[in-house]
Amino acid sequence: MSIKKKTPEKPAYNGKVYNFCGKKKLILVVCVTLFVALIVGIIIRGDNRSIEFKGGTMLTYTYSGDLSTSDVKKIVEDVTGESVTVRSGEDINTGDAQFTISMTTGDFDADRQAELATKLKAEFAENDLKDAEAVNVTSTTGKEFLFKCVIAVIFAAIVIIIYIAVRFRNIGGWSAGMCSVFALLNDLVAAMAVSFIFGFEFSANTVAVILTILGYSINNTIVIYDRIRENRKLMPKATLNELINTGCSQSLTRSIRTSITTISTMLIITIVVLIKGYSSLLGFSVPLMAGLISGTFTSLFVAPVTWSWWKGREKVKKAAAK
Amino acid sequence: MKKIGKSTFFIVVAFIALFTFSSVIGLDYAFGDKTKTYIKGVDDIRLGIDIKGGVDATFEPADGYEASQSQLDAATQIIKTRLSNLGITDNEVYSDDKSNRIIVRFPWQAGEDNFDPKAAVKELGDMAQLTFRKGTETETDADGNVIPKGEIVLEGTDIDNADYIYRQMNQTSDPEWVVDLKLNSSGVSKFAAATSELAGSSTPISIWMDNYMISAPTVNNAITDGSAVITGNFTGESAKKLADQINGGALPFKMVTVSTNTISPTMGEGSLDAILLAAAIAFGLIAIYMIVLYRLPGCVAVIALIGQVAGSIAAITGWFGFMHGSTLTVPGIAGIILAVGMGVDANIITGERIKEELRTGKSLDSAIRIAYKRAFSAILDGNITNVFVAVILMGAFGVPTSFFSNILNKTIFRAFGATAEGFVYSFGFTLLAGVILNFIMGVFASRLMVTSLSKFKCFKNRKLYGGDVK
Repeated sequence: MSIKKKTPEKPAYNGKVYNFCGKKKLILVVCVTLFVALIVGIIIRGDNRSIEFKGGTMLTYTYSGDLSTSDVKKIVEDVTGESVTVRSGEDINTGDAQFTISMTTGDFDADRQAELATKLKAEFAENDLKDAEAVNVTSTTGKEFLFKCVIAVIFAAIVIIIYIAVRFRNIGGWSAGMCSVFALLNDLVAAMAVSFIFGFEFSANTVAVILTILGYSINNTIVIYDRIRENRKLMPKATLNELINTGCSQSLTRSIRTSITTISTMLIITIVVLIKGYSSLLGFSVPLMAGLISGTFTSLFVAPVTWSWWKGREKVKKAAAK
Repeated sequence: MKKIGKSTFFIVVAFIALFTFSSVIGLDYAFGDKTKTYIKGVDDIRLGIDIKGGVDATFEPADGYEASQSQLDAATQIIKTRLSNLGITDNEVYSDDKSNRIIVRFPWQAGEDNFDPKAAVKELGDMAQLTFRKGTETETDADGNVIPKGEIVLEGTDIDNADYIYRQMNQTSDPEWVVDLKLNSSGVSKFAAATSELAGSSTPISIWMDNYMISAPTVNNAITDGSAVITGNFTGESAKKLADQINGGALPFKMVTVSTNTISPTMGEGSLDAILLAAAIAFGLIAIYMIVLYRLPGCVAVIALIGQVAGSIAAITGWFGFMHGSTLTVPGIAGIILAVGMGVDANIITGERIKEELRTGKSLDSAIRIAYKRAFSAILDGNITNVFVAVILMGAFGVPTSFFSNILNKTIFRAFGATAEGFVYSFGFTLLAGVILNFIMGVFASRLMVTSLSKFKCFKNRKLYGGDVK
């Protein structure tokens, strides 16, 4: 980051002021990169929704003796060529041990089931495998749920924009609110791009990641807006860009320090999960980490810069109208 | 501002310590072999199916009934609602329209020794169809079941809303638990017609839940205001259950259990230990980080954060009497992480502000006072937006009869069924609890503690607050 020193009239703040507003190209590059990454990820991975959102097949087998579900998972993945989940259990009525394979292949027909069963029975000859149940699950409720989630998130975004518009009206709230949501959008794109590129399933945990980023990103942006609002009172003569630059500079230490705590928390979770071998939790911790990193950046750059650009255009338009 | 003395610090710390201790350990009283739990501790947390595994039950329509896709979907919704009413907000419900099956997975209840999965599964699969009928006659069907025969006056679809209340039915009787029904427009006219027909006669109106008669009151006067009350020796619990069942609606067909199994957690056996280990490491590092960066306010921040984490645990166990408690799932943990992250943020914002104010040459007292005042507007706005997010999620995905759901499902989410999605609810729940705790711990308690400590002579050194020595 190149540092341009400016010395505007600023009675309240004597530290360095960095020129955040001058980083238009940087944010354009970052936004486009994130978006391209997401598109590439979607193209590579295709539809990676989990069974509750996509539907699929669940096969249950009973067995005797000991058997490792991760071995089963490996064999099934070899046969089907897609990632599956294997969960162990026990029939409450008979006490038989069993395992359930869940996969998102909807057309896993009887022939392929028989093929898989033969393979598994051969591999686990001493476990006396028996077919117990095969169901094709539909995802009507799952799809409706996803759609409802989208509506809920959009509704939340509208409420947030209105709230920011009211609370930050002395510095032009509507545009500030819109820009904070635009910054949030970038963070969601970042998280989803990472999720796709790493090939994580889109599951309930992914929904949780999106919601966490929603809360975190908006909070981050608001803390910076708050500083700009406060500066408006302390520096009545300053231009908006000066206010933004000062506000972002003042918030820089706090932004970095808070981000260190949140990002390192996700990093610790990722490392522990990797060491302990619960790879299914990675689909939660890694995209969330990406969203948090992006959130730090967008709250300092994307939201204030797009906002300054917006306000700048408003001014030009007004001048043209006169 | 009210006076904050030296003793305030110790009082606040004592409160936080007591609260933390009780919410983690809980308070049990063992009497013989029966244990009464007064305060639920960590052991009483109900863990989600993604973390701990649970019960897997498969249902299919009884007697080879061919259910349509929409009926299966309706049944899926109703089962989800019933699970939520039972406080099991995280669950997986799948339907298979080819084999006409519904697969339900839900977590073990906390303290699973006395948890009967078979009974729980049976309760889920019960029809729970409410009918009001003329007379009390019954007949025996082909399978030998005794079923009601009287002409149907009202059905579940005529009822707008059911509630359970404790009240005195007339001036001489003792108060009792009853289920109070609000009828919708179709119900009002049907009920008015039937009650005016039967008023004064000896024919009662019988109230049935499936094939079980709850009560059969005689009608004294025609009821035209669309309200009806079911009495019948209820306890608070059984009245709530009946009200929930009525609100949840009847299954479109009778279901039988094909199989009942246990199932291991989605995230893998022992994943909770991994999360807890990571959380402990992260918390330890954050504590060191805060103390190194902010010294005395950093120490105070750590105490406040401990209180906040304890508060989140308390919210999940249902420590607060007015709250129901929830299930802890991975999304729920995400809610806690977000809320605690915002708590850390609140402390960092304030810590930075204290430093800044000290550097402008203010006295210690006024620097602390002004720092908390100025930091508050940022913390307030940031947290309030998260309250909105949490409330919207709880409303959209909570139990349909709850307050927020009633408002949202009738407006924004009209086009959707009133689905309860436990894991999103779980996220909203822990986030809301965490944000409220943020105001109590991160703002209020930490201000009291820092202000109080600054009165001690030994803590007057500005360096302790990150300021320069004057």
